[in-house]
Amino acid sequence: MQINYFDFCFRFRLSQLKSLIHSTDLCRLSIRKQEVAGIRSKFPNKIPVIIERYGREKYLPPLDKTKFLVPHELPMTQFVTIIRNRMALLPTQAFYLLINNGGLASMSLTMAQVYKDHQDEDGFLYMTYASQEMFGHRFPL
Amino acid sequence: TMFIPQEDSSFTSTLTYDTLRFGEFEDFPETSEPVWILGKEYNALTEKDEILSDVTSRLWFTYRKNFPPIGGTGPTSDTGWGCMLRCGQMILGEALMCRHLGRDWRWARGQKQREEYISILNAFIDKKDSYYSIHQIAQMGVGEGKPIGQWYGPNTVAQVLKKLAVFDTWSRLVVHVAMDNTVVIEEIKRLCMPWLDAAGAYEPEGVGELNGCLEGACALAEEETALWKPLVLLIPLRLGLSDINEAYIETLKQCFMLPQSLGVIGGKPNSAHYFIGYVGEELIYLDPHTTQPAVEPCEDGQVPDETYHCQHPPCRMHICELDPSIAAGFFCRTEDEFDDWCMRIRRLSCNRGGLPMFELVDSQPSHMVSVDALNLTPDFSDSDRLERFFDSEDEEFEILSL
Repeated sequence: MQINYFDFCFRFRLSQLKSLIHSTDLCRLSIRKQEVAGIRSKFPNKIPVIIERYGREKYLPPLDKTKFLVPHELPMTQFVTIIRNRMALLPTQAFYLLINNGGLASMSLTMAQVYKDHQDEDGFLYMTYASQEMFGHRFPL
Repeated sequence: TMFIPQEDSSFTSTLTYDTLRFGEFEDFPETSEPVWILGKEYNALTEKDEILSDVTSRLWFTYRKNFPPIGGTGPTSDTGWGCMLRCGQMILGEALMCRHLGRDWRWARGQKQREEYISILNAFIDKKDSYYSIHQIAQMGVGEGKPIGQWYGPNTVAQVLKKLAVFDTWSRLVVHVAMDNTVVIEEIKRLCMPWLDAAGAYEPEGVGELNGCLEGACALAEEETALWKPLVLLIPLRLGLSDINEAYIETLKQCFMLPQSLGVIGGKPNSAHYFIGYVGEELIYLDPHTTQPAVEPCEDGQVPDETYHCQHPPCRMHICELDPSIAAGFFCRTEDEFDDWCMRIRRLSCNRGGLPMFELVDSQPSHMVSVDALNLTPDFSDSDRLERFFDSEDEEFEILSL
């Protein structure tokens, strides 16, 4: 009986928690959607982009600002140059922008073209930056 | 109570990564699926000997111990840290083999060594004055922000090899590292035919770093000016964040099918491997994670070379285990071979089989040459409006204008 009671409480709380998380997500999504709608009406010639640092990135510094409004016709290669300059990277340092955590950004496309294919549900274009992993072992020599 | 005898714990400590891995090499699979090794196709059912002979003929560079200390007082072994440096040696070694011996050259144990072969091996012997020794790579890496003994990534070793190749006047290679997942054809043609710049065939404006090639251009013999400096093209990439994006798997396989393929350096997390081909869903690789004693050249000029060739069946791993950080390599001995490579890459990117891993463009966009000429400043009238609009946000937008 006791086990069933706790089990019941646990399941009840879990479902409460889930619906709470779900409603928070929905709430966040609708706030973000409003944010994008507002910004797009104010700046119809700009695309809202969020640049995130890969969670396990060890070599590239964080950016001061992560939200950008960029011109439609800006080529991706130029955008990458701007970000590289912000971080004061050497041209020989590895830097990659991955769109929606998956594919490498194609440098010859314009921001509008990338936005058209990869914009998020909330209206932002999300990109993650990362360098390369290093390879080696730690074990007694 | 638990009692762990002393002998047991010391036994455990000797079971290093090296000893655990040795002796468990699976035989090559009997499959009707095609086997691709550095641009050559094999049938595993009928050509097993040819496959193993091809694999054994590649240069196999592993951890070594008891070599002269790096920098005079540094490490005498690269066990634990040198795996990506060794993979860099393997991919460049393959380029030197293609350059001086040809892709079809085969190694046989105890055969009389050709002069070119001895020179190639000597370029990698673990001593300070070999062109591409672990000593040279580790010391050149200091300039890339990697103190001796630090781990490298595929891009790190590619950048170092590019610098070292300038001193290899015997091979006269152009090592080009294509950054930002973009290969610029015009840039490569300038590097491989620097005398065209001198003759005015190309507009000199916007010439970036020329890999140190221009200096020697005037001194070249007449007949050589019509030629092409053999190209080693290295393309460092990141095919995903924590795992490889599956959309790249078919494109990655196609890399090994190109006749210009030098394979791929990369690995599993923490362990660097030199990938030379694939069969089915498995990558075929040479593994540097075995520590062998350093080798001294014999007095007769021959090099004891048995430990520089992998004589067991090659290792294999599922393609999904691949760490997303890699560098793909290609070798183009002539301009025709480079044009052929460009044509094949274009053809591949038209096929909708997978996502292209890199982009091939004719010329460098002007803004990549001169970053300072960018007229990209935050638009202040815009940001005034924005501040009023976003008073509730703690993080404001940065506005870029053309």
